Amino acid sequence: MNVPDHLTDDLLVRAFDDELSDREEILVNAHLPGCEGCRQRYGAVRQLSGRIESVIAAGVPDALPNDRDALVERLEAAHVRPAPLPVGRSALRSFRWIGPIAAAVLLALLFVPRLARLLSENPTTASQDRPSATFEVDGETFIPLPYSNPDLPMSAPHIVEMQVPVASLASAGVMFEPVSNEAMASDRSVLADVLVGLDGQPLGVHVLSVE
Amino acid sequence: MQSGDVIALRVAGWGTEYLEDTSHRRLVLEYYDREQLPLRRYLLCLGVDQENCREILQETFLRLHQHLLAGGDQTNLRAWLFRVAHNLARNSQTAFHASRTGPLADAMTAGELASGGASVEDELLAKERTVRLHRAMQELSAAQRECLVLRSQGLKYREIAGVLNLSTSTVGENIQRGLERLKDVL
Ligand SMILES: [Zn+2]
Repeated sequence: MNVPDHLTDDLLVRAFDDELSDREEILVNAHLPGCEGCRQRYGAVRQLSGRIESVIAAGVPDALPNDRDALVERLEAAHVRPAPLPVGRSALRSFRWIGPIAAAVLLALLFVPRLARLLSENPTTASQDRPSATFEVDGETFIPLPYSNPDLPMSAPHIVEMQVPVASLASAGVMFEPVSNEAMASDRSVLADVLVGLDGQPLGVHVLSVE
Repeated sequence: MQSGDVIALRVAGWGTEYLEDTSHRRLVLEYYDREQLPLRRYLLCLGVDQENCREILQETFLRLHQHLLAGGDQTNLRAWLFRVAHNLARNSQTAFHASRTGPLADAMTAGELASGGASVEDELLAKERTVRLHRAMQELSAAQRECLVLRSQGLKYREIAGVLNLSTSTVGENIQRGLERLKDVL
């Protein structure tokens, strides 16, 4: 069998690296299976590449947990908090879960970046007329919260998973059937997905489970 | 979605409180867990010492966080990380100095390199070959070494080109030449 031109080293290396153009690939695929010499050179490229990899990997410790912790700290220090607006307090203050949620609850934050579309299909979801009506966001059912503002654009809401005190839910007009009397105790809280609108207003709540 | 790191959870007439949108930080840490080792390998192969390497790594991921907060391009964050780390290393005075005192020297003397060889003889041979290869890598031009190390961490030529500010064909040439020189050593 006549083998016209052997493959260049460059072609073999790039074949190994999966960096061939379509034309080159056709060339290599046509030549390589029939040429023992080029196949050996291809094997040498593979072997050398493997050795280089292990040389590079050698002597570098796998993990530095302290460094990760340091990064976490620096990331937390890095985010900028907007200045709070001076706004008066009201009865809604009893929604205590907003204030001290901080660390523990925030660990469970769940942000879902796909709600805008779905919400805009449900412009009446935050209606105050039907507080007991539910609406769906991506298959998840939410109870609209009474102070949601339907006039604001709902362009980028989040779902936030957090512990919500039962009393706070009740005072917001959202009742749910407790599974036991214990769950009714005022200091009880439930795990809930809270839908938060772009303006920071809670649009709805979906109770997940009793703590 | 372009969201800040902190979102306001504000209820009318109720005071202003904030919830942290941890999604960016989570993404940064995801990338950290996945890429810190390849990045360290790269930096150490450049001749950056351990201490600088740690600092550069921290700075690289803090910049990733800023990049995400600013709504920066997310199409190839891996290559972005290597590029930033590379530039930070270039800027640091101590980087790019070492040519013979790479991270591997310690491992060599400590005999940490596993050869997988059956006999002691094989093992010695493999170790010797590794030492030679390591030395030869230090003899390469900086561009050749950089290209080969980035390649070994799985970057495509196009990505390497982006990290090093070279053309894709120059990357190919560097890899090709570098391999040729290393092949001669073995
Ligand atoms: Zn051939």
